[in-house]
Amino acid sequence: MKKMTWSKVSRDTLYECVNAVLDASKEKKRNFLETVEIQIGLKNYDPQKDKRFSGTVKLKYIPRPKMQVCVLGDQQHCDEAKSLTVPCMDAEALKKLNKNKKLIKKLAKKYDAFLASESLIKQIPRLLGPGLNKAGKFPGLLSHQESMTQKIDEVKATIKFQMKKVLCLSVAVGHVGMSPDELAQNVHLSINFLVSLLKKHWQNVRSLHMKSTMGPPQRLY
Amino acid sequence: MVRHNNQLPNNLTQLQNLVKRDPDSYKDEFRQQLAHFETTLEIFNLNPTQYSKKLDEQAMFLAQVTQCYQNDMKTFPQKIVDILKTHNTVLHNDMRLALCKCLILLRNKNFVSAFDLLEIFFFLIKCQDKNLREYLKTHIITDIKNMNMKHKDMKLNSTLQNFIFTMLRDTNVKTSKLAVDILIELYHKNIWNDHKTVNIIADIGCFSKVTKVMVASLKFFLSREEEEKPDSDSEDEVDPRDTMISNKFNKKTRKREKMVDKVKKIAKKIKKRKEKAPIFNFSALHLINNPQGFAEKLFKQVEASNDRFEVKLMTLDVISRLIGLHNLFLFNYYPFIARLLMPHQREVTRILQFAAQSAHELVPPEVIEPVMKSIANNFITERNSTDVMAVGLNAVREICARCPLAVTEDLLQDLVQYKTYKEKSVMMAARSLIQLYRQSMPKMLHKKDRGRPSEASLDLKTKQYGEMDIKDYVPGSEVLLEKEDITENAKKGVRKLKKKVAESDDEWVDVASSDSEINISDSDESEPETEEDEAEEKKVDPSEKNGENIPPTVENRKILKGKRKLTAEEIQEKIKTAREVAMDKIFTDEDFKRIEAAQIKKHITGVKRKSVAVEEEDESSELVKLADIENIYKKRKHDKNARLESVLKGREEREKFGYKDRRKNANCSKTNREKRKTKSYQMVKHKARGKIKRSFKEKQVAFRNYLIKQKKMM
Repeated sequence: MKKMTWSKVSRDTLYECVNAVLDASKEKKRNFLETVEIQIGLKNYDPQKDKRFSGTVKLKYIPRPKMQVCVLGDQQHCDEAKSLTVPCMDAEALKKLNKNKKLIKKLAKKYDAFLASESLIKQIPRLLGPGLNKAGKFPGLLSHQESMTQKIDEVKATIKFQMKKVLCLSVAVGHVGMSPDELAQNVHLSINFLVSLLKKHWQNVRSLHMKSTMGPPQRLY
Repeated sequence: MVRHNNQLPNNLTQLQNLVKRDPDSYKDEFRQQLAHFETTLEIFNLNPTQYSKKLDEQAMFLAQVTQCYQNDMKTFPQKIVDILKTHNTVLHNDMRLALCKCLILLRNKNFVSAFDLLEIFFFLIKCQDKNLREYLKTHIITDIKNMNMKHKDMKLNSTLQNFIFTMLRDTNVKTSKLAVDILIELYHKNIWNDHKTVNIIADIGCFSKVTKVMVASLKFFLSREEEEKPDSDSEDEVDPRDTMISNKFNKKTRKREKMVDKVKKIAKKIKKRKEKAPIFNFSALHLINNPQGFAEKLFKQVEASNDRFEVKLMTLDVISRLIGLHNLFLFNYYPFIARLLMPHQREVTRILQFAAQSAHELVPPEVIEPVMKSIANNFITERNSTDVMAVGLNAVREICARCPLAVTEDLLQDLVQYKTYKEKSVMMAARSLIQLYRQSMPKMLHKKDRGRPSEASLDLKTKQYGEMDIKDYVPGSEVLLEKEDITENAKKGVRKLKKKVAESDDEWVDVASSDSEINISDSDESEPETEEDEAEEKKVDPSEKNGENIPPTVENRKILKGKRKLTAEEIQEKIKTAREVAMDKIFTDEDFKRIEAAQIKKHITGVKRKSVAVEEEDESSELVKLADIENIYKKRKHDKNARLESVLKGREEREKFGYKDRRKNANCSKTNREKRKTKSYQMVKHKARGKIKRSFKEKQVAFRNYLIKQKKMM
């Protein structure tokens, strides 16, 4: 038996993996910024009985800086968005889509995330139908008290753990442009958060891998 | 010598036995039988409606020995298939069954391909013969199961699947019912549990024009409990040690040795099976490819259909589960359900259950409002019986557990008024609603209903519609750091004391007692201290300033007490430390245990009552349990068992009622009088009469008579 007081993944192995991932990406430069993701295999988890977990966590460093966020806002938010050169749409524009499934699908595909202002968000299901929800991109709430840039950054830095039809999941935690320390911190936080979501914590984890988009996977646990 | 009474041509079972032992030498006999079979077959073809016993026996015999003469028998399976195909419906029932058995025998020896057999069997299903259909169904299932036992042949499986899928589309009722039954059975047996099967059942089975097929497929999506087969582990639990020990003393025979080996093997197998982590499957509802489309289509069907009420209910159930599970938007569903919500509606609790199942966080409040309104107006009014009110309140609670915004503040406060209702069932239901909102959105409640604020309620954020709860730390993890530091500091303190340098250092604030010491150090230590440590320092500070000797437990409590008056700034600080911790190292299982303990503690701190039951976070709440809605808190009339139990309990300390045996020693013998009580009356009749003493007069008379008698005798 392993001694339980040990950390399941030691600092050294984690740094080794981080460095290996970064080195692999440096060796063979790709034409784009590779994303680093962790892949988690689960065990002892009965998706029928146990509650399906889903959680969102905000990382310290933005894992995907190129993410496109669209603001579905009222007049004030749209003006603000325009001044910040953030793509935006108002209620009229949404009504123009006329619940056309293809157009909505196109819209959902075009952006990675959406934000909607308080007055609009309740109408979104009525205006757009199930299209956005189907794509898993239901807008987040944007209130007038928060600053828009901050909120957009928050959305960009937020990762979502959600299990689909298989007993494993993967999530982007960074990109190869980050320094090892930054990456390691992001990995730490996301692993900790994920494991805290699981009912039996580490006993539910079968494997942990880390890889860049095109690099070889590195086993963490 | 020639055997004169050669019975072999007529005694097929004996011949079969001999052939199997020595195929070469009985070749002639076999050929004779084969020729015989062919002639009988020709005769049979002239009149296929009759049952021919001869053909039955010969076909069976040939099927049994096929493996011995493969060259001669190449065409044999095809011949049987041909009979079945040409005369399928006209054949006598027994004949057909016999030929099918023959084919299955050949299939088990792998002389017929699975696909061919499946085809011919589906062809035969149309016959009017219930026995045959049952037989074929079980055979098809076991055949596919056996094929997949060792390894899965994907190619073969997919051809078979495709064939069955086409059969499902068939217009013939029996064929499509059989197809859906087979698919469902194989899914439950974990053989075809892929999403392809599920989606076919969803897309075709659920929209079949044949009600039977539709109901079977709907039931497939509803059955969750049936899948959980009771494990038969307990019965085949074998301990090899027992048999080994008994074998030591028993007579040694080869049979016994073999038995021990067998038992050992079985035990090993069981152990292996237990070590393997159980494989869990997603329920069929998860595997559906396009839940939105499926739900919409089902809803359209239920709106248009005029099926029986039960079928409609089933469809509504499937839809509600889909909506809840996949967070779908199906806005027409709610008014439809709301229309059915009347106290006298049949199966109304189930409809309430569907309403609760179909609620989820993303449903806009105004969409679910008709449901809420009809529950509030039709159920929770005082003109109804208390049970109806309680059920209504329970339903509201279940809906609000999924969709906290569903109820407006006014309505909630109206409903909460029932907390002092005179009937207990209603009161309890209202209180459970309060309890729910205390945990999810205390702001909606009246101030006095909110309960004493605990630390956990400070962490609570009320969510607006569509807002996501985004955390950038692991909640509760700040505790880890505190405890770690305390233990660390304690160790340091001990070390310091031993060195006796404490006094010389001005920067050390010493808090030392005789039995338990804690030194709280500043961060000037030589070790690389991080800012978390400082943050921790601040929290310990107040207790430090007291300048008292505090054992660690007391200190902990002080910290917790101090936290009750946390300012927003301090909370921020806490979150920051939590984040730092989470980013610095990976937590172990023990860490998580501590975090959990701390989270539970948060619920308790600040609440005065000692017996605070920390509510379990609702587990497995994907589906609403009907019992939750029907649950009425009420003192029920005793049923027989409960009554008997209470009676027995009352008897516990009381002496036995009735005859008491007054003997002091229970083991001593009984008196004659007592014994007499058990004897039969005839035996004790004379005693029962008792001694009746004669009176003086009688004695006198008797004596006189006696004397006279004596005189006469003389």
